[in-house]
Amino acid sequence: MTIIKKLALVVVSLSLVAVSSVSSAKPFSPKKPVELIIPAGQGGGADEIARLVQGVIEKNDYASKPVIPINKKGGSGGEAMTYVKKKAGDEHTLMITLNNVLTTPTNQPELGIDFFNDFTPLARLITDTFLVWIATEGKNTAGIDTFDDFISLAKGNGLVMGGTGSMSEDELLLGMMRGQFGFDAKYVPYSGGGAVAKGLVGGESDFTLNNPSEQMGFYQSGDSKALVMMTPERNPAFPEVPSSYELGYPDLEYYMMRAFMAPAGIDAEVEKYYTGLLHTVYHDNEFQTFNIDDGKLMSWLEGYGLKDFLAIEYDKHAVIIENFQ
Amino acid sequence: MSIVNKFTVRRAEITVAVVLALCSIALMTKSAQNRITWSAEENMGAGFLPFYLSLGMLICTVLTIVKFILKKSPQSKDTSAFIDPEAFKFVSVTLISLIVLVFTIGYLGIYFSLIFFLAFYLRYFSEKSISFITIFSLTTPILTFLFFEWLLKIPLPQGISEPLFYPVYDFMYGKITMPIKMIFIVLTIFLPTALVLLINRFIK
Amino acid sequence: METFGLLLDGVFTSLQWFNLALLIFGCLIGLFVGAMPGLGSVNGVAILIPITFIVPPTAAIIFLAAVYYGAMYGGAISSVMLGIPGASTAVATVFDGRPLAVKGEAMTALTAAAVGSFVGGTVSVILFTLFAPPLAEVALRFNAPETFALMVMAFATFVGLGGDDIPKTIFSILIGLALSTIGLDLITGKPRLIFFNIPGFLHGINFLVLAIGIYGIGEMLWTLEETKGKVQMSKLSVNMKEVGRAFGALKKTLMAMNIGSFLGFFVGILPAAGATPASLMSYGITKQLSKNSKEFGTGVPAGVVAPECANNSASTGSMLPMLTLGIPGSPTTAILLGGMILWGLTPGPLLFTQEPEFVWGLIGSLYIANFFTLVLNIALIPAFLMVLRIPFAILAPVIFVLCVTGGYAPTQSLHDVWLMLLFGFGGYVLRKLDYPVAPAVLSIVLGPLAENALRQSLILSDGSMGIFFDFASKPIAAIIMYIAIVLLIMPAFGPLYRKIFKKTLSKA
Repeated sequence: MTIIKKLALVVVSLSLVAVSSVSSAKPFSPKKPVELIIPAGQGGGADEIARLVQGVIEKNDYASKPVIPINKKGGSGGEAMTYVKKKAGDEHTLMITLNNVLTTPTNQPELGIDFFNDFTPLARLITDTFLVWIATEGKNTAGIDTFDDFISLAKGNGLVMGGTGSMSEDELLLGMMRGQFGFDAKYVPYSGGGAVAKGLVGGESDFTLNNPSEQMGFYQSGDSKALVMMTPERNPAFPEVPSSYELGYPDLEYYMMRAFMAPAGIDAEVEKYYTGLLHTVYHDNEFQTFNIDDGKLMSWLEGYGLKDFLAIEYDKHAVIIENFQ
Repeated sequence: MSIVNKFTVRRAEITVAVVLALCSIALMTKSAQNRITWSAEENMGAGFLPFYLSLGMLICTVLTIVKFILKKSPQSKDTSAFIDPEAFKFVSVTLISLIVLVFTIGYLGIYFSLIFFLAFYLRYFSEKSISFITIFSLTTPILTFLFFEWLLKIPLPQGISEPLFYPVYDFMYGKITMPIKMIFIVLTIFLPTALVLLINRFIK
Repeated sequence: METFGLLLDGVFTSLQWFNLALLIFGCLIGLFVGAMPGLGSVNGVAILIPITFIVPPTAAIIFLAAVYYGAMYGGAISSVMLGIPGASTAVATVFDGRPLAVKGEAMTALTAAAVGSFVGGTVSVILFTLFAPPLAEVALRFNAPETFALMVMAFATFVGLGGDDIPKTIFSILIGLALSTIGLDLITGKPRLIFFNIPGFLHGINFLVLAIGIYGIGEMLWTLEETKGKVQMSKLSVNMKEVGRAFGALKKTLMAMNIGSFLGFFVGILPAAGATPASLMSYGITKQLSKNSKEFGTGVPAGVVAPECANNSASTGSMLPMLTLGIPGSPTTAILLGGMILWGLTPGPLLFTQEPEFVWGLIGSLYIANFFTLVLNIALIPAFLMVLRIPFAILAPVIFVLCVTGGYAPTQSLHDVWLMLLFGFGGYVLRKLDYPVAPAVLSIVLGPLAENALRQSLILSDGSMGIFFDFASKPIAAIIMYIAIVLLIMPAFGPLYRKIFKKTLSKA
């Protein structure tokens, strides 16, 4: 036994020496696989982008170690954010964001997350858009073709809206629209964007505020149609859908941001490395084509611009939540 | 051993029932932190279902206690030892070593903890030779690493041992061709065996 | 008949040598991953998504289908050999597969699982090919009230699974349901039952944590006590006679095969349901309808065939809502769906007409994968049986290692491993006091589905339970609900009826 123990000690200490001599001052590159935390379940929009990023990096050898997506869907982002917060200073952890990172710290103060100091924002790659969807043969919405018709219908009748869970982006959006247009709707939460889309076409709900990719299949088959896209301009993926600016509702503008963050307390060197990596991914052809075809907006933002953007968005969401309650 | 003997099935039955009743009450109070009402105007509160489910649990445990008092259940009449005194050692040592294992995983990382756990467990329960135990407790973590981190790319906790794995990762994802990597994998798996054989020879 | 031509094309595509090699490799990986407790097809499929960027989409989907099917079979292996469900879909396989193995009839159990899986897979491919479009319509109309009615029916089929002690059985069901409410409440967006503010509770209690705890750790503690660490788990021999006997035992399981294949497929095509409820329900129904229902749980081949048939059948079935509605029925299909989107395919009603090669290639390769996994499985049975020859003192720590890694891997949190230990110890103690544990495992699987469907329906109906019994507007929900109620009261009336009947008999 003792001989084995001694031998084990020698092996361990030798390898320690080897490690310390290797890690001399070179520009940062990951020493082990990088965990990419997804604050949502498998199959959602964030998951899709995370796995796309993983695939693009792996296929083109953009990084020396692979990126491993890990889903931590608990507490609408709460679990993921607590995890990343605890990893302060860790150089091998990234997190992709949904808008729930902007709302969860306000909604669940008991988690003790400080949005501005617990994370290092790296870059925003994409913004996803929202549209108002109705079923083409909806029992209550038959014959509705424009957003204005829809509003006058919604004012009189209590329509049912399918959404992705209470206090999620689309319920906040419904809150915004309620204040702006003076109609109310019954909100039915589902377990994911796909289920929401199916609930609409299956006749359980009257309208939804889905992202483009979630309704794409039904949109192409003509089972559902979009009335307005909440953006300043029309989107090439949905050429016949008017933008909210065109219809004269410039206040009706809302996005889902797909940004990446690292834990707080990492070196500037590390921050620079990951931002660079994301920049390479952003300009990858495959990445660009996929997202543009899907109706997403390519919107790179980093550094101070990103920090300002996040601060504005965070405050905006705090106001929406306050009005909502 | 006498305590184990005295802890009869009868005692276990009532102890467990009381503990479960207390747990049910705790669950009820915890559920009540959310709204537990439900009416036509207001949708079901988040606490409604857990509250009434745990109320149901409480009722069931109370029924079990009543049955115990009335001596209606087979357990309430059973005065044999809850755990066979002879087997108590096996169960308790296993449980404690498992708790220690999970505790050390958090600090030492899973791979090194497994070595200690396996070595201890095999030494305690089996009559295998030290050489066998050494080979076995070193090979299992290596296989675990290869399976999880290499094949499935699922990172397992490494705790303070993390820096030791950096060179391994460099090798895994380095620009070495697959056949050479495979040779190395096979060599690594047999490394503990070779080591033990060498030591055995050295001692003799 | 055009679809059959397309399906044949799909089959031939997967028989090209490159694709075939990928397929067999995928089956092997799937088998292995599926057999590891805690890891299921979802892990196998997830790691392969990046690889699929390198090979063409058809080859990729063949590979993924192979992994998917391999894992479905693999789950049964650890259920039978180790008594730990390898995946959620294989929980019901433990109920009878494990007792069979303990009795020394592991051979029968493994053969039953393999053949059952194959039959289920075959029937479902035929049903899929014949009825895909109309069934997609059914799936589309299957909304919250219908889902809840189905869940009530699932619970009704489990009534027979409990023990003799009624308060203890009900307690077991309720604690499973209560544990399933932990985590974020989808409907109100509020966290519930977060004990001591530990963030690990935010993701709720993963059903695998409970299952591995009870069937892995708990079962091991139980066996350790029984055998005092001395005995081998079971004795067995592999020879041609045994093989013949194993196949002979399958003759009596025809009914289980029918129930498993058809029920599995229909539950599988329903969005949100998937293979786990399917396998549990068909176990329950087979047990209730069987002549020797008392023997279920003590090791009958039909108890292995029914859930295995159903989970494979449902796996093919669950491709339907994924392809036509874009709704993932399980985490695995969720990742497959993500993969499809990345390959530039849009799931939706048009997929069948726009991308027939892809759809039928997928179904064809599922079928071929099904066949090859059967062959691999039967061929590997002697290798699996070697596990049982390992002395218990060595097997036990290996199982503990599998439990700990399996508890950690799905959620990547040590919190779940602690919970697993707690459930293992708790399950061991409760089992010794005759609390049935299976109902708790079942209700933690179905609890979240049932709760969400119930509350969604109640929002729609403004709180009226009438929505579940309204033949005019929700005929499907009402029919299922009434069947469920009949199923629920049947066992209660059975003994009563017999009692009355006996009394009159004895009087006469």
